[in-house]
Amino acid sequence: MDFSVLTNNMDAFLEGFKTTIIASLIALVCSFILGTLIAVMRIAPLKALNWIGTVYVEFIRNIPVLVIVFFTYLAFTFSGMTAGTIGLTVYTASFIAEAIRAGIMSVPKGQMEAARSSGLSYGQAMRFVILPQAIKIVIPPLGNQFINLVKNSSLLGIVAGGDLMYQGDLVNAKTFAYVDTYVFVALFYLVLTIPLSFGVGYLEKRLARSN
Amino acid sequence: MIEFSKVNKFYGDFHVLKDINLTINKGEVVVVIGPSGSGKSTLLRCINRLETISDGGLTVNGVSVGDKKTNINTLRRNIGMVFQHFHLYPHKTVLQNITLAPMKVLGQSQKEAEETARHYLDKVGILEKAGSYPSQLSGGQQQRVAIARGLAMKPEVMLFDEPTSALDPEMIGEVLDVMKALAREGMTMVVVTHEMGFAREVADRIVFMDEGRVLEEAVPADFYENPREERARLFLSRILNH
Repeated sequence: MDFSVLTNNMDAFLEGFKTTIIASLIALVCSFILGTLIAVMRIAPLKALNWIGTVYVEFIRNIPVLVIVFFTYLAFTFSGMTAGTIGLTVYTASFIAEAIRAGIMSVPKGQMEAARSSGLSYGQAMRFVILPQAIKIVIPPLGNQFINLVKNSSLLGIVAGGDLMYQGDLVNAKTFAYVDTYVFVALFYLVLTIPLSFGVGYLEKRLARSN
Repeated sequence: MIEFSKVNKFYGDFHVLKDINLTINKGEVVVVIGPSGSGKSTLLRCINRLETISDGGLTVNGVSVGDKKTNINTLRRNIGMVFQHFHLYPHKTVLQNITLAPMKVLGQSQKEAEETARHYLDKVGILEKAGSYPSQLSGGQQQRVAIARGLAMKPEVMLFDEPTSALDPEMIGEVLDVMKALAREGMTMVVVTHEMGFAREVADRIVFMDEGRVLEEAVPADFYENPREERARLFLSRILNH
């Protein structure tokens, strides 16, 4: 293992690391919001919304994320970073929507009935009664989606997104130390995903206790 | 204040409610009894549109429940409901369970809503549990919280859907006592129950249902002493003589 590959190119690795974190964070927040909206659309008591939600999930979920990222990059004049982050968001949102929908469906029907019969609107009942309960059930699958998202962010490298993978490729071109470079790239990803994995586990335990 | 006229309801091909004509007046306590599957709960749940009726007319305070133009949320403010399985919000404290709707629906301040909540918690006898979560309460306590939650909206009518059926026998009394007190204060109540003692003591009127029809309406004394309908007689003999 040649550590000089790492030390000589630390700036590039850190630059890529930073971009990966930023892209992942933005995609994480946006896909969570978008995914929640789509989940609510899928189960709202309005056929048109159900339809839109279902079409979104079935289309996006069944297209390779690589194709989506290429599409957002080539069809619009976004930078690689922007296109990649949008592509990731759109793709991850379909999985998050499904996880959240499953969580909402697992909240007993009586909760919605109690909330509605007290005069709360459907939206209020969702927001104050159903979603806070669903989120606890949804945390583990959601955590998995977030970890996948961080790993999938490596696709930014293919559209010159300036992320960890992209910087790794540049280091390769310079040093020809392919194996060493990718090992270091992998380690940087682990620095993100392992704490995320533990964080989800911790949150899961804490939420379980609050019940 | 509640009026069913020729109400029918179908679940697919299944005819759940058949030509229901029923009037419930302000201040009245009406107890609906009948065998399982007779449509009692469905009848009750139509009043606040948890179930929609297939045809006929149903009005609450003169407002048509089924009309598309009726704002259902406004209508429901005036109709409190207590369920067999309580349906308290498990992620909220007792106090938060009660203040949610007054704050979000009536726009009360937190302080005002909490004052009201404490007032009703005191009334149902569990003020000391205000900060607890529902899972920390017994079934009887949970049901009393559910009643307080309904009352906090200051509704004109309270609906009770088998409020004691899911309770341990020892806890039934405490819930019935709260309901009796409520009835004495003049609350309009529609109660679906199998508690014959309660029905006899508190009801102004008994409505007996079977197979989706209202078979008999009578004051409790008449109904229990001398039911007109053969089916009602059979029902009473089965549940009273064991």
